[in-house]
Amino acid sequence: MSSIPASAFLALALILFCIGLYGALTKKNTVIVLISIELMLNAVNINLVTFSKYGVAPSITGQIFALFAISVAAAEAAVGLAILIALYRNKKTVNIDEVDTMKN
Amino acid sequence: MNLSAVLSLLVFSPLLGIIVLALMPKQAEKAIKIVGFLGTLPALFLSLAAYLHFQWGKDLADFAVAKQWIQFRGLNVDEPYFAVNYELGLSGFQLLLVALTAIVATLSAIAAARFVKKEWKGYFMLFLLLEIGMLGVFTAENLILFFIFFEITLIPTFFLIGKWGYFEKEKAAYSFLIYNGLGSAVLLIVIMVLFAKTGTTNIDLLTQMMADPSAPLSSDLKLGLFIALLIAFGVKLPIFPLHSWMLKVHVQAPPSVVMIHSGILLKIGAYGLIRFGMGIFPEQFDQLATLIAILGVINLLYGAFLAFIQTDFKMVLAYSSISHMGIVLIGLAAMNQAGVQGAIFQVVSHGLISALLFFLVGILYERTDTSLIENLGGLAKGMPIAAGFLLAAGMASLGLPGMSGFVSEFMAFLGLFEEMPWIAAVGTIGIIMTAAYLLRAILGMTYGKAHREFTGVLDLKGVEFVPVIVLMLLIVLIGVYPSVLSSPLQTTLETIMPGLGG
Amino acid sequence: MEFVHEGCQAPCSIKGIVIMMENAWLIPLFPLLSFLILLLFGKRLKEASAYVGILFTLASLVYSILVLFERFSEPTYGTNFEWLTIGDLHLTAGFEVNQLNALMLVIVSLVSFLVHTYSKGYMQGDERFPVFYAYLGLFTFAMLGLVISPNLLQTYIFWELVGVGSFLLIGFYFYKEEARAAAKKAFIMTRIGDVGLFIGMILLFWQTKSFEYKEIFAAVDAGEISTSMITLTAILIFIGAVGKSGQFPLHTWLPDAMEGPTPVSALIHAATMVAAGVYLVASLFPLFAASKTALLTIAVIGAFTAIFAASIGLVQTDIKRVLAYSTVSQLGYMMLALGSAGYVAGVFHLMTHAFFKALLFLAAGSVIHAVHTQNIEEMGGLWKKLKLTGPLFLIGTLAISGVPLFSGFFSKDEILAAAWEGGHPILFLLALIAAFMTAFYMFRLFFMVFTGEARGSQKHVHESPANMTYPMILLGVLAIIAGYVNTPWFGTFLGDWLVDGNEALAQHGHIEGPVWIMIAATVVSLAGIYLAYLMYYKRSLARNWLSGTGDTLHTIVLNKYYVDEFYQLTVLAATTAISYFLRFIDVFLVEGLVKGVVGIVQGLGRAGSKLQSGQVQTYGAVAFIGLALLVVIFAFTGGYLR
Repeated sequence: MSSIPASAFLALALILFCIGLYGALTKKNTVIVLISIELMLNAVNINLVTFSKYGVAPSITGQIFALFAISVAAAEAAVGLAILIALYRNKKTVNIDEVDTMKN
Repeated sequence: MNLSAVLSLLVFSPLLGIIVLALMPKQAEKAIKIVGFLGTLPALFLSLAAYLHFQWGKDLADFAVAKQWIQFRGLNVDEPYFAVNYELGLSGFQLLLVALTAIVATLSAIAAARFVKKEWKGYFMLFLLLEIGMLGVFTAENLILFFIFFEITLIPTFFLIGKWGYFEKEKAAYSFLIYNGLGSAVLLIVIMVLFAKTGTTNIDLLTQMMADPSAPLSSDLKLGLFIALLIAFGVKLPIFPLHSWMLKVHVQAPPSVVMIHSGILLKIGAYGLIRFGMGIFPEQFDQLATLIAILGVINLLYGAFLAFIQTDFKMVLAYSSISHMGIVLIGLAAMNQAGVQGAIFQVVSHGLISALLFFLVGILYERTDTSLIENLGGLAKGMPIAAGFLLAAGMASLGLPGMSGFVSEFMAFLGLFEEMPWIAAVGTIGIIMTAAYLLRAILGMTYGKAHREFTGVLDLKGVEFVPVIVLMLLIVLIGVYPSVLSSPLQTTLETIMPGLGG
Repeated sequence: MEFVHEGCQAPCSIKGIVIMMENAWLIPLFPLLSFLILLLFGKRLKEASAYVGILFTLASLVYSILVLFERFSEPTYGTNFEWLTIGDLHLTAGFEVNQLNALMLVIVSLVSFLVHTYSKGYMQGDERFPVFYAYLGLFTFAMLGLVISPNLLQTYIFWELVGVGSFLLIGFYFYKEEARAAAKKAFIMTRIGDVGLFIGMILLFWQTKSFEYKEIFAAVDAGEISTSMITLTAILIFIGAVGKSGQFPLHTWLPDAMEGPTPVSALIHAATMVAAGVYLVASLFPLFAASKTALLTIAVIGAFTAIFAASIGLVQTDIKRVLAYSTVSQLGYMMLALGSAGYVAGVFHLMTHAFFKALLFLAAGSVIHAVHTQNIEEMGGLWKKLKLTGPLFLIGTLAISGVPLFSGFFSKDEILAAAWEGGHPILFLLALIAAFMTAFYMFRLFFMVFTGEARGSQKHVHESPANMTYPMILLGVLAIIAGYVNTPWFGTFLGDWLVDGNEALAQHGHIEGPVWIMIAATVVSLAGIYLAYLMYYKRSLARNWLSGTGDTLHTIVLNKYYVDEFYQLTVLAATTAISYFLRFIDVFLVEGLVKGVVGIVQGLGRAGSKLQSGQVQTYGAVAFIGLALLVVIFAFTGGYLR
C-alpha cells in the first residue's frame, strides 16, 4: 500500500474532478450533469481519505467526513432527481439550457 | 445633585406617546391628535427645566449619563476592549438645540393637527420617533450613539415626506434618502476609522486625543477624515453643490414636516460641523478655513440670487435656507468667538424663523391652493393678520435688528471681518440680496392688487395662533435680549476655542 | 445687568439733579407703548387710536423738553449695560444725552407729536386708521432710539428700524401697485447704504475693539488708527448716510416714497428720518474730521446733490415730488456744511429745515386734502379758498428760499459761510446756484397752487379742520423764529452751546463769514423769487422761454436724468442675469451632475443584469473561474509558488 505515493491519489482525484467539472459545465442533459456532480464529490472524497492517511496530522476524521459526504451526496441525488422529475412534468424537457427561470 | 436619569427621560419621553398611540384605534382622529401633541410635552417641559436649571447657576454636567453598553475585543486577550458606552450629556450649546427641538416639535405637532389629512396614527407615531432621534442626536456624547440617533431621524423623515407630502412626494423622499444615506455612509466611515485608530468614540476623549501631538493619526489622515466630515455634514446643512435634495423636500413635504426639517434637521449638519469638525479636528478646520469661508459666501450668494427669480414662494424659502446656512459657514470659518457664536445663533435663529415661515406658507397654501407668487397678491386685504406675520417673519429673516436674524448675521460678519475682510465684504452683498428677494416675494403676495378673488379666504384663527405667536415672541426675545442664548454658550465657546488657538 | 455710570462726575453725583436725563430712556419707550397697544387693541379702539398715539407722543415731547432744559445746565449724561457677551468682547447698550441728542429729541418728538395730531384729521375715515397710528408709534420709537444711542451698533439697530417704519408707512396704501414698488425700493436702496455703514462699523470695531462713540473718538484722537483706515471707514459710514438721506446716487427712493400718506412724508421724509444721515455724520463728526479725504467726499457729494436735485425740482408737476426733490437738495446742503467742517451749520440747518419742511408738507397735505389731486397743473387760485393754509405755505416757502428774517436764511447763510471758509469756492458757487433754483421752484410751486385761475375740476374746496391747522400754525411760528437761536446779529447761542465742553468740536463751532456772503445769498434768493414771479404770476415771461430753447435738456431733467432707468438697465439687469446664470448652473450643472451619477449607476445595473442569463452552467463556469483565479492569486501573493 505504502508504495503508492500520495501524489498518485491526488492526481486521480484531480482527473476525476476535472472530468466531473467538464461534464457539469458542458452537458445538456440534466441527468448527466447530476452524475458529473457526483463525480466531483467523489473526487473530494478521495482527497479527504488521502489526507487522512498521508496528511500532516493523520486522523480518522477525514474518513468519517468522506462517509458523511457519501451519505449527503446520496440524499442530494435523491432530491436532485425529484426536482428534475417535477421539472420534467412542467416543462417536458430535461435539457438544462431550456431551464432559465432564474433570469431576471 | 444627580440628575442623570432626567436626560434619558427627556430623550426617550416621546416613546410614551408612541406606545399610547399604538394602542389607539385608527379612526379616533381627535384623540390621536391630542395624544400626538401631548407626547411632545414632556420633552418640552424637561428641556425648559434644564434651561432654568442652568440659569439658576447650576452645572449642566449634572445631567451627564454614562453606562456600559457594548464591549468587544479581538481574540488576543492582551488587547484592550473596544467599548461603546451609552453616554448622554448636555453642554450649553446642546441645551439650546435640545430646547429648540422640543419647542419646534411641539409647535409642529400643533401644525400637524391642522395640516395632516389622513392616517394620523401613523403620522404621529413616526413624528414622535423622529423627535427621539433629534433629541438623541443633540445629547449623544458618543459618536456611535450619535450615528444611531442620526439614522433614527432619517427613516421617519423618509416616510413622513413620502406618505404625507404633496404631488411629487415620492421623488422628494427618495432623493432625501439617497443624499442623506450617502452622507451618513461617509459619516460612518469616519467614525469607524476613528474608532479603529483610537479605540474610543467618546467625543470628549477624542477631542483630547487629537489635541495630543502623539495621537495615532497622521495629519494627512486627519485632513482626509475632516474633509469626509465636511461632506457628510455638508449634505445635511446643505453646502453647495450638495443642496438639490433639500429643495425638493422643502417644496413637497407637508408643512409640519418642513417646519421640523428646516428648523431642526438641517441644523444637525451645523451641529456636527461645530462639535466634531471644529471640536475634534481644529487644526484641519484652520487649514481649510479660507475654503470654508468661500463656500459660505458661495452658499450665501448662490441661494440669494436664485431665490430672487423663483416663482414659487416655497422655492424662495428653500433657497433662502441655503443662503442662511451660508452665514453659519461664514461664522465658523472666522474661527473666533464672535464668528462661532454668530454661527450658533444663526442655527437657533434660522430654526425659529424658517419654522414660522413654513407654517405660514402652509396656511396660505391651504387657503388659496397655491404658493406661486404671481397667482397671489393683495392678500393683506383678505387676511391682514397672516400677511402681517408673514411680513414680520420676512423681516426677521432678512436680518432686521430687534429680531434674532440680525444678531446672528451681525456676529458672523463681525467674526469674519476680523479674519478675512475681503471675503466678508463680498458676502455683504448677500445682505442686500436677502432684502431684495424676500421683499419681492412677500410684497408680491401680500401687497398690490389681488389678481383673483379668493373666495372664503380666512385669516388665522384659533389654534393657528399658537405656533405663530410663540415663534414670533422667541424671535423678538432673542433679538432684543440675546443673552438668553449667549449666556449658556460661553462655556461651550471656552472649550472649543483653546483647540483653535484663538 | 450691570449699570455703568459714565460721564457722571462730581456735579451729578447728587441724586435728583439729573433725574430727567437719568430717565431719558423713557422717551422712546412712550411711542413703543403706543405701538404695542395699538397693535393689540387697535381694532377695538378704532378712531380713539389717535388719542393713544397723540398722548404718548405728547409725553415724549414734554419729557424731551424737560431733558433739553436740564441739559442746558448739566453736563452730558450717559449710561450703559451689557447687551451681548461674545467671549471676552462685551457689547453694551445704553443711552446718552449730549447737546446734539437733546436737541434732536425735541425736534423729533415735536414734529412727531404735530404729525400725530394732524393725521387725526387727514386720515379720518381710513379703514386702517389704528394701523396707521401704530406704525407712526413704531417709527417714532425707532427715531427717538436712534437719537439717544451712545454707540454705533445701537445706532445701526435703530437705523434699520426707522427704515422699517418708513417702509411700512410708504406702503401704507398696500393695494396700490406704486406704493408697493415705492416701499420695496425705499427699503432696498437704503439697505445698500446700510451695508456700507455695517462694514464701516465692523471695521472700526476691530480697530478700536469698541462701538462706543467715546472710545472711537479717543482712539482717533490718540492716532491709534491709520489715516487710510479712518478715511475708509468714514466713507463707508457715509455711504449709510447717503442711502438714508437720499444723497446722490442713492436718492431715487425718496421722491418715490411720496406714495405714502402726506403726514408721513412730513414726518419721515422731510423732518426726521432722512435727516438721520446728517445726524449720523454730525454725531461721528470727530471721526470724519480726522480725514480730509472723507470730509471732501461729503462736501462734494452734498453740493452735487444739492444742485442736482434742485434742477430736477424745477420741472416736476407733482406737489409732493417738488417738495421731495427740495428735501434731497436741502439735505445735500447739510452734507455740504458738514463736509466743509461746518458742524454747527449742518445741525442748525437740520433743525430749521425740519420745521419749515414739515410745515410745507403738512400744508401740501392740507391742499391735497382740499382738492384731491397732487398735480399742480390742476390747482390754482387756492389763496382765497384756503385762508390759513395759503399764508402758512407762504411762510414755509419764504423760509426755504432763504428770504431774510426767516429761519432758512440764517442757516443757509451759515452753510454758505462754512463752504467759503472751508476753502471750497467751487462748491460755494454750486450751493449759491442751488439756492437760486430753490427759491425759483418753490415760488413756482406757490404761484401755481395758490394764484391765478382755478384749473381742473375743483369742487367743495374747504379749509382743513382745526386739528390739521393748529400743528401747521405752530410749525409756521417755528419756521419764522427758529433761526434766531443762532444769528450773527443776536448771538450764536446754538453754535456755542453745541460745541461747549467738547474739545473735538471746539474748532468747528459757529463760522463767521464775510458780510458779502449774506448779501449774495439774499440777492440770489430774491432773484429766484422774481423770476418765478415773472413766469408764473405775471406771466410776462412765457413758461417755456427756457425749455423751448433747450428741449433735450428739459426732457432729460423731466426724466430725472434717467437715473432710475440707468439702474434698471445696469444693476437690476445684472442681478437678474446673474440669477439666471446661476439657475442655469443649478439646473444643468448641479442637477446634471446628479443625473450623471444616477445614469452611471443605472447603466451599471443594466449591464450587470445582462450577465444574469439564467443558465446554471454559465454561472457555474464563472464561479469556478473566479475560484481558480483566487487560488492562483493567493498562491502567488502568499509565496507558495516560487
